[in-house]
Amino acid sequence: MIEAIIIDGLVTGAVFALLAVGFTLIYGVAGVTNLAHGSFFMLGAYMFSVFGPHGFLKLEAIQALILATIFVAIIASIFYRLSINPIIDDAVAVLVVTVSVAIIFQQIVLLVFGPGFFVVPPFTSGSTAILGLMTPNSRLVSAVISMALFISLWIFISRTKIGAAMRAASQDREVAMLMGINTERLYMLTMAISAALAGIAGIFIASSTTGVAAASMWLSPLAMSFAIVILGGLGSIKGTLIGAFIIGYAESAVANLVPEGGAIVSVVPFLVMVLILVIRPKGLFGKRIEMEE
Amino acid sequence: MHLLEVENLTKRFGGLTAVNNVNFHVDEGEIVGIIGPNGAGKTTLFHLISGFLKPDSGNMKFKGENIVGVPPHEIANKGIARTFQVVRPFRHLPVIANVMVALKSPRGSKKIEWIKTFERKAVDMLENVGLTELMLEPAENVGHGDLKRLEMARALALEPDLLMLDEPFGGLNPLETDFLTKSIQRIHLDHPTRGIVIVEHKLYALMKIVNRVIVLHQGEKIAEGKPEEIAKNKKVIEVYMGKAM
Amino acid sequence: MVTTYLTRIYSSFTAHVFDIPPRMLALLLFSFLVVLPIGGLNQYVLGILASANVLAIFAASWDLLVGRTGQISLGHALFFGGGAYITALLFENYGLPFWITIPIAVLITTLFALLIGFPCLRVKGPYLALVTMAFPIIIGSIVGWAPLVDIFHGEIGFRGLPRFFPFLKIQDQALAEYYLTLLLLFISSVILYKIANSKTGIVLVSILDDEVASKASGINVTRYKLMAFAISGLFASLAGCTQAHLLKLANPPMLSLSWSFIPVIVTFLGGIGTIYGPLLGAYIYYILDRYVLTILVKIPPEFVYAKLLIFTAIVVILILKWPRGLARFTTDKLQDLEEARDIEERGPKIWKTYKKKKKIV
Repeated sequence: MIEAIIIDGLVTGAVFALLAVGFTLIYGVAGVTNLAHGSFFMLGAYMFSVFGPHGFLKLEAIQALILATIFVAIIASIFYRLSINPIIDDAVAVLVVTVSVAIIFQQIVLLVFGPGFFVVPPFTSGSTAILGLMTPNSRLVSAVISMALFISLWIFISRTKIGAAMRAASQDREVAMLMGINTERLYMLTMAISAALAGIAGIFIASSTTGVAAASMWLSPLAMSFAIVILGGLGSIKGTLIGAFIIGYAESAVANLVPEGGAIVSVVPFLVMVLILVIRPKGLFGKRIEMEE
Repeated sequence: MHLLEVENLTKRFGGLTAVNNVNFHVDEGEIVGIIGPNGAGKTTLFHLISGFLKPDSGNMKFKGENIVGVPPHEIANKGIARTFQVVRPFRHLPVIANVMVALKSPRGSKKIEWIKTFERKAVDMLENVGLTELMLEPAENVGHGDLKRLEMARALALEPDLLMLDEPFGGLNPLETDFLTKSIQRIHLDHPTRGIVIVEHKLYALMKIVNRVIVLHQGEKIAEGKPEEIAKNKKVIEVYMGKAM
Repeated sequence: MVTTYLTRIYSSFTAHVFDIPPRMLALLLFSFLVVLPIGGLNQYVLGILASANVLAIFAASWDLLVGRTGQISLGHALFFGGGAYITALLFENYGLPFWITIPIAVLITTLFALLIGFPCLRVKGPYLALVTMAFPIIIGSIVGWAPLVDIFHGEIGFRGLPRFFPFLKIQDQALAEYYLTLLLLFISSVILYKIANSKTGIVLVSILDDEVASKASGINVTRYKLMAFAISGLFASLAGCTQAHLLKLANPPMLSLSWSFIPVIVTFLGGIGTIYGPLLGAYIYYILDRYVLTILVKIPPEFVYAKLLIFTAIVVILILKWPRGLARFTTDKLQDLEEARDIEERGPKIWKTYKKKKKIV
C-alpha cells in the first residue's frame, strides 16, 4: 500500500510539475490566467491517441507524442492570437474568454469523439519492479521525461536570450517593450510552450495513469495547476516543483486510502486550492501578494 | 502634540530600501512640502502613511494615535485624505458621483450638516475646485487637468484634518499650476487647523505655499527647513543636478 | 462575414435601445410579458418562458456581483444548485411545503455565501474566479459521491419535488407558474435595481472601477463586496429553488460548471451591468436554444453539443468586440436631467435644473 502511494505520488508529482510550470509561465510572462490550460492537457491526450499506435496514423509512441505536442502548440498559438491578444489588458475579459474557449474545445471534442471515455494506449509496455511493486514502464518513462523537460525549461529560462526576455517581461511588461522586446511574439511563444507542456502532461497522465481521455478532463488539470502554483508560490519555479509533489502525494494518498477514492480524487486539487487561498494566499515560497498599487 | 508624527519609518522591497529611517512631523495649520528626485521614496512614504503599505519598522502617530497597521479606509475615516500621483478617478461614474463615493464613507456622511443633502454637499465640493460644469460628465471623458481637480475635491469631501497631495502639479500647464496654487492657498485659509503635505519634485511650484520643506533622497531625509534655505542647500542642489528644478 | 452581420444587428439594437431610459425599457418588457399569454400559449411554451424568467433572476444576481461590483464569479451554480438541493432535502426529510422550504433554503444559502465570501473576497480577480469555480464543483462531487447516495441520491438527485399549484388543472398550472415566476422576476428586478441605482450602487461601481481609490475615500470595500456577494447569492438561490420546483427535480448538473457559465452567456447576450440586460439575455437565450437551434435549424440529437458551443462562441465574439461593455452608469434621474446634449450648453442648464429640483440621485 505505502509503496503504491510513494510511486504514484512520484509519477503524479513529476508530470504535474510540468503541467503547472506551463501555467505559471504564461501567467508570469504575459499576465494571463489561462483557464483553458487544462484544455491543452486534454487535447494532447486525444491527439496522442489519434496519432498513436492504435489510432489513425499508427505512429510510434514517441513520434505521436511529438506530433501531438506540435499540434497542440499550434492550436494554442492561434488561440492566443485570436482570442487573447486583443483583450490582454483586461483581466476579467481574459478570464471569461479563456473559460469560454475551454468550453468550446470541450464541445468540439464531444462532437468529434462523442461523450464517454476515449481509450488512450499506454506509452510503452512492460513493467519494472520498483520497491517491490510492479510498476508499468509507461509511468516511469513519463516521470523521467517530465523531469528532464522540467530541467530543460529551467535551463532555457535562465540561460538563453529568449529566457531572459521572458524574465524581463514577467518583471515589467512596459520596460520590456521599451527594451525592444516584441512582447506580442514573445507571449505567443510562451503560450505555445505552455500549451505544449500541458499537452505532454496530458499525454503522460492519460497514457500511463488513467488510460482514458474524456472531453471534460480539462477542469481537473486546471485546478491542479492553479493549486500547485498557488501552493508553491507565484513566481517561484522551485515552489512549483515542490508544490507539485506535495499535491501529487496528496492525490495518491486519497486515491489509495479513501474508499471509492478514485471518484472523489479530482476534488483534491480544488479543495487544496480553496484552502490555500483562504488560509495563506502567498503559498510556501511566493513573494508576498501586496494587494495595493 | 504633532498632528502627524513619523518616527524611524523603514520600508524594504526585497533588496531595495525605499524608505530608510525617516523622521518627520506635521503640525496643525502647517503646509509641508516633501521633495526629492524620482525614486526618493516620496510616494512610498505616502502609501505608508495612508495605510496601503505596512512599514517594516518605525512608528506613525496621527493626533497621538498609532496608525501603523490600520487599513486604508480606516485611516481615511480618521481624517487623513490623500490624492494619487497618477489620477485614479472612478471612470464609469459621473464627476459628481465620484465625490459622492467619499461622502458615503462613515466620515463623509457624518460631515454633512443636517440641513444639506448628499447631492448639495457634492456640488459644494465641486464648486470649491471649479468643476460644477462637468458635474454629470462620466469621469472617463474628462481631461487630465480636471481629473486632478476632481481627485482633490474627492479628498476634500472627507473634510480631512490632514490632506496629502501626491504630485498635484504633475502634468499641469502654467495656467493650471497657478490656479491650483491659489486653490491650495484658499483651502488652507478655509481650514486653518488642517495640515497639508505636498509631495512634488518641482520645487518652484511649492516655494510659494509651503511653510517647511523636507528633502528625501534614496529613502533618506537629507535636509529640512524653510523653502529659501533648501533652495540654497548644497547637498540638495547636488542631488538634483541634471534634474529640472 | 457572419460575424459582421451579427455585430451589425447587435449594434443597431443596442444603439436604439440605449436611447430609451433603462427603466422605461424594462417596464415595457415587463408589460409585454404580462400580456403575452393572452393569445393562448400551450403548456410547453409557457414552461419554457417560466424557466426563462427564472434564468433572468439568476443572471441578474450574477450581474450585480460582476457587472456592478466587479467581483468575478465563475461558480454561481453553487447558489443555484445549492438552493435547489436544500429545498429538496427539506421537502424529503421534513415534508415541508414549498413556501416554507424555499425561504429557508434561500436563507441558508445566503448565510453560506456570507461565510465563504469573507475569506474568498480577500483575493484578487483570477484567484477569485478560480475559487468560485471550485466551490460548486467540490459540492457537486460530494453530492454525487456514491457512499452518500442515501442522503443525496447520487447522480440521479432528487425527483418528485412538489409543484407550485397542485390544486389546479394541469393546463392552468403552466399558466400560473408563468405568472408566478414573472412576479418573482419583477420583485427581484425592482430590488436589484434599487440597490444598483442608489448611493450604495455608486459605491459598488467605485469598487469596480478602482478599489484603491475607493478605500482612500474611506469606503470599507470588503464589507461592500461581502454585501454584494450575499445579495447575489440570495437571488441566485431563489432562482435555483424555483427552478427545482418547476422541473420537480434537483440533481448534480445544477451544480456544474455549465450552470455556472450560463449567467455569463445570458448577461453578455443582454448587456452587462444593466437592469434589462439579464432579462433580455435570458429570453434571447431560450429563444435561441429552444426555437432557433431546435426547431428552425434542426440540430440533430447527435449534435446537441453544438448548442453550448455556439453560445459560448457568441460570448467570445461579443467580448472581443466589446470588451466589458459595461453600460455607462446612469441613474434614472440623471437621465431626466440630461436634456442638453451639447456640452457647452450643459453647465448652466444643468445648474438651473438642479437648483429647481434640488436632487440628482
